[in-house]
Amino acid sequence: MEVILFAVFASIAVVSSVLVVTRRNPVIAALCLILNFGSLAGMYLLLSAQFIAVVQIIVYAGAIMVLFLFVLMLLRPDMERSFFRHDPLFKWAAIIVSVFTFLLLVYAIILTTFNAPILANHAKTIEIGTVEAIGKELFSNFLLPFEAIGFVLLSATVGAMLLSKKKLD
Amino acid sequence: MEMKDLFYAMPLLIVGGGILLILLIDMFFKGGKKIIPALTFFILLGTAYYSLFTINQLPIGLMPVSEFGLFYGMLSFGGKAHLFYFLFNFGSAIAVLIANDYLKKIETEYSEYYILLLSSVLGMMLIAGSRNLVMIFIGLEQMSISFYALAGYRRKNILSNEAALKYFLLGSFATGFLIYGMAFIFGTAQSMMLIDIFSQTSVLVKNPLFMIGILLFLIGFTFKIAAVPFHMWAPDVYEGSPTSVTALMATVGKAAAFSAILLIFVSVAKMGPNSVFSSMFSVVAVLSMLYGSIAAIAQKDIKRMLAYSSIAHAGYMTIGLAAVNPSGIAGIIFYLVAYTFMNLGAFGIIALLESKEGKFLSIEDYKGLGTRQPFLAASLAIIMFALSGIPPFAGFFGKYYIFLAAIQSGDTWLALVGVLSSVISVYFYLRVVVYMYFSKSDDESAILEISQTGLLAVIASLVLVIAFGLAPGSLIRLISGLI
Amino acid sequence: MRNLIYLSVVFPLIGFLVNGLLGRKFKSEKVVGIIGSGAVGAAFLVVLAAFVETLRMPEEGRALIVTLFQWVKAGNLDVSIAYQIDQLSLVMGLVVTGVGFLIHIYSIGYMHGDKGFWRFFTYLNLFIFAMMNLVLADNFLLMFLGWEGVGLCSYLLIGFWYDRKFEKSTTSDAAKKAFVVNRIGDFGFLIGMFLIYLNFGSLNFTTVFAKAGVGNIPESTFTLIALCLFIGAAGKSAQIPLFVWLPDAMAGPTPVSALIHAATMVTAGVYLVARCSIIYASAPMALTVVAVIGLATAFFAATVGLVQTDIKKVLAYSTVSQLGYMFLAMGMGAFSAGIFHVVTHAFFKALLFLGAGSVIHGMHDEQDIRKYGNLKKYMPKTAKTFLIAAIAISGIPPFAGFFSKDEILWEAFSVGGFGFWIFGVITALFTAFYMFRLYFLTFEGKERFDSHHVHPHESPAVMTIPLMILAFLSIVGGFLGMPAIFVGEEGNLFGRWLAPIFKSAETKIFTGAEHSHLMEILLMAISVAGAALAIYFAKFVYLHKPEIAEKVSAKLKPIYTTLLNKYYVDEIYDAVVVNPIRLVSESFLWKITDVKLIDGLLNKSAALVDYLSGYIRKIQTGAVQFYAIIMMTGILAALFWIIKSL
Repeated sequence: MEVILFAVFASIAVVSSVLVVTRRNPVIAALCLILNFGSLAGMYLLLSAQFIAVVQIIVYAGAIMVLFLFVLMLLRPDMERSFFRHDPLFKWAAIIVSVFTFLLLVYAIILTTFNAPILANHAKTIEIGTVEAIGKELFSNFLLPFEAIGFVLLSATVGAMLLSKKKLD
Repeated sequence: MEMKDLFYAMPLLIVGGGILLILLIDMFFKGGKKIIPALTFFILLGTAYYSLFTINQLPIGLMPVSEFGLFYGMLSFGGKAHLFYFLFNFGSAIAVLIANDYLKKIETEYSEYYILLLSSVLGMMLIAGSRNLVMIFIGLEQMSISFYALAGYRRKNILSNEAALKYFLLGSFATGFLIYGMAFIFGTAQSMMLIDIFSQTSVLVKNPLFMIGILLFLIGFTFKIAAVPFHMWAPDVYEGSPTSVTALMATVGKAAAFSAILLIFVSVAKMGPNSVFSSMFSVVAVLSMLYGSIAAIAQKDIKRMLAYSSIAHAGYMTIGLAAVNPSGIAGIIFYLVAYTFMNLGAFGIIALLESKEGKFLSIEDYKGLGTRQPFLAASLAIIMFALSGIPPFAGFFGKYYIFLAAIQSGDTWLALVGVLSSVISVYFYLRVVVYMYFSKSDDESAILEISQTGLLAVIASLVLVIAFGLAPGSLIRLISGLI
Repeated sequence: MRNLIYLSVVFPLIGFLVNGLLGRKFKSEKVVGIIGSGAVGAAFLVVLAAFVETLRMPEEGRALIVTLFQWVKAGNLDVSIAYQIDQLSLVMGLVVTGVGFLIHIYSIGYMHGDKGFWRFFTYLNLFIFAMMNLVLADNFLLMFLGWEGVGLCSYLLIGFWYDRKFEKSTTSDAAKKAFVVNRIGDFGFLIGMFLIYLNFGSLNFTTVFAKAGVGNIPESTFTLIALCLFIGAAGKSAQIPLFVWLPDAMAGPTPVSALIHAATMVTAGVYLVARCSIIYASAPMALTVVAVIGLATAFFAATVGLVQTDIKKVLAYSTVSQLGYMFLAMGMGAFSAGIFHVVTHAFFKALLFLGAGSVIHGMHDEQDIRKYGNLKKYMPKTAKTFLIAAIAISGIPPFAGFFSKDEILWEAFSVGGFGFWIFGVITALFTAFYMFRLYFLTFEGKERFDSHHVHPHESPAVMTIPLMILAFLSIVGGFLGMPAIFVGEEGNLFGRWLAPIFKSAETKIFTGAEHSHLMEILLMAISVAGAALAIYFAKFVYLHKPEIAEKVSAKLKPIYTTLLNKYYVDEIYDAVVVNPIRLVSESFLWKITDVKLIDGLLNKSAALVDYLSGYIRKIQTGAVQFYAIIMMTGILAALFWIIKSL
């Protein structure tokens, strides 16, 4: 059952991400991205990370993508074309390089002899994924990263304001 | 976590608190804006001195915390981390002096500049002090996001916009690989803590995925140090960004990336088949040195020239990585210190001379500067000598220690290529000097007003460049003691 | 104060910086002069205080090294900026700053009204800074730094009046000559230094000399090192064959001649040999070379001095000759006697030069002694002090020169034998003769200048007071080093003071046969009587019967012209060394090697780099996708490499 679900989610994720890159129409690309996020959320669930899965849906697929779409619809999407130069040479080069990299990584994974997976207690795994467990970790072991992320968001906000606000006094 | 953790994380707290304080001042006190540059400067200076004087200090009655880590092992204390803290803070303090005048000149004084500058410094410190992969990533993002925004600081300048966008796109691309690498490392080592990863390294180095993880991690930071072939962004970004931002990115930003590489690379290279990464870095070093030096010759814009020269400098420092020995590491850190102050001086002078409209950036404009601005010309000449590695300035000893390390590890050919590239680089550095002293200016009327704080920045950098050149021994001894 | 000895280096540096950076802006000469002299005066006080403090300490604990900071650390090489206090460096330090201070004061008067007044004091302070580094250094490298520094200052100051004529060419040519000749010597010093590092693994005096004292190093190595260092010493201290620059160095202002080319810098070579006494003591052959060269220089320069007509030229050759004496002492293993002569010579030779400067000043830059005469009437103070110095250098007791010169002559006799002694004595007689020839022609006799146009006058007090102090020192300075036969071994204060420095060297050297006291007194009497006779002879010839001099010179025309032209050494050097080199470099090195080979190669490679550079520039297209592709290619290559090597 798990394997089948994984195969489904994984193939949706791969196909949708390829579509994101290849579609010329940005709105369609954005919608494909939502699909991608959704399948990722499914995979999180398979790993019994319920909280992350929910957050993925609410924040990414929900809030952020809606924002994306708004922006795309408000702006003229064809602006994008004039900014980037479309050179077919680039396209082919990019494809070749990506394919080779992909093949190499696959080869490396085949080369690896995996240790027996740590078969943790299934019940315990479920426990780790709960909101309480994550909250505890965030405020103990990961306290500093948590606080630091706050500063990252703050500087991102300030940066965004600096770059976009109409009038700065 | 205990209270002592807070105490030992003092440098981070001061800078972090400073960000919030400035944000508040900016929001609530209309008249408070004037003190923001000064406040930023003193925050950075204070942190720099605190870090410097706690380098060798261990928590009383405890085992060295750096072994063990603050905040549940997330952060180290003292030693190399504090040396880097000092470098970041002191360098940025000088960059604030440069910025203060520069922003006035281009008539865009926003306090966001100082907030973002402090944020980037906080990010750098998180990188250098980190004991956990997550922390490295957060620090890097903190620094990079601040830089992206700062690069686009001149909002009405098309070059500045372009720089910000390019830096953001390519930077995110590189960060993607970094994260990918971290995922491999986490997957194989099953821990994010550096201490756990290192304890298993001797086994893990036989695992291809782990090695790929380390490789991608290193590549992520090789992008930030702008070494060939991950350098393409540097000339455009350095040229387009406001000069005071370039001064920051090209110096302490690069030092932060090196600090991350040193965190991981040393332990892994020590235990693993070091020939793999060593030869990879040899190739990167040779390409960067030659590419940077040769491409710099064709440049007409002085900022662009310095960008290529910084690629070459990244190459010299990479030799120290290829050498994989303690003297190579010490050499890198010495070089970083020297390089930081040389380039701060150089960009400081450029920022002083640059006109409001962004003129006076072509090397041709420096003709006859020797008579118009004798002090600045002499300073720039000294810095150019230092950059090209002519003794007795700091740059010479940086190269010297690096090349020495290469020879010690048997890579004499790398040192030879380094010397060759230095010889090439003399051409474009000295061209500036020749223009300043042996050519007449076409436009004698361009009288430049030189402001005070920028001058102070130049003098401070100059003094350090000369001091580390005359007495490199004390610095290298301090560094060697920390490795 | 001992721990603060570095201040004596720092003060002149501050003076140099202040005058150098701001001197042009100071409106009054007084400010510049006070800063310049004050810096050196302060340095003198520091050294003096350290000296007094050292004097109170027990003999064993007197040496001290004050380390400022580590300077160079590379592999085994570990060199610090560190200053050494011991008996020898203190003596040298006192002479440099003390005499230096007096000359600074004097210069305020002498250089009055010169357009380069501030520049002059800047250079002088830089010189004192470099010289103090030279004498206080605790390692060869720092000493070399000082060594080069004084060479640089010497160059700058010889060519100080770069717009004036000097003899057949310009002062700049004289400065260049000094610099080039010194470079030859420096080369020897450098080679010596490398050899020391190679054999002893260190450049610190303490380490090197301790290892040299133990001695499992072959004598041939010591000889090689000693000879290389001696080439350096010979260059700086104007010994055969590298002395040619010193007479030309008189192109500089007279205080410079007094400070650099008489009292301090030129004795650096002697100091170097004394400092390395243990190395020389381990290399007897090198010692013999030093002694022979020293004696030959002393004798040769004295003969040239007999006939010179330029007042400063006479003094210059006299300096060369006296330096020869010092090296003779070194060669005899009488290191403390040599250093003692350095000290007394600094007093009276500085005095002679300053006196000459006073005369030149009063005579409106006239330097030909044939155009002087009876100046005693116009400048009594200068005349008196000059007379004292002349007596002192001639070796008449109880003036300073007598004691130091006599000690050297006695050592020459007891160690080197009769041959060394007799040449030494003859040189001493010549010295007495030409000094008094100079004195009588200048200050006594008839006025030979055109009194309508020239109005000689005494110099101001700022110039005469240093003269008087130096005169006082020239009289009493010798009592520091009274010979043992008069006051016993303990009575020779100077020798006793320096004894610990040279103890290990002196135990290695054959100290000469025992001679009776009677012998020593007899020899002393002979040399004094000879000197007195020479003085009388000079008086007879130049005051009473001037025609004798002309007759003699006419009769001995070949010898006279040879001497007047300084044995044609300059011409010989030109013919043998300079011109062939010039010929080879012009015809071969320049036209073929330089123009064709090096320039050609360089231009070709520069063109190649230029071409590459332009090509690379095209890579930087500005397209972000392209940048990303390049990055990806890099990653791909790295991945490939890593998987391949697993």
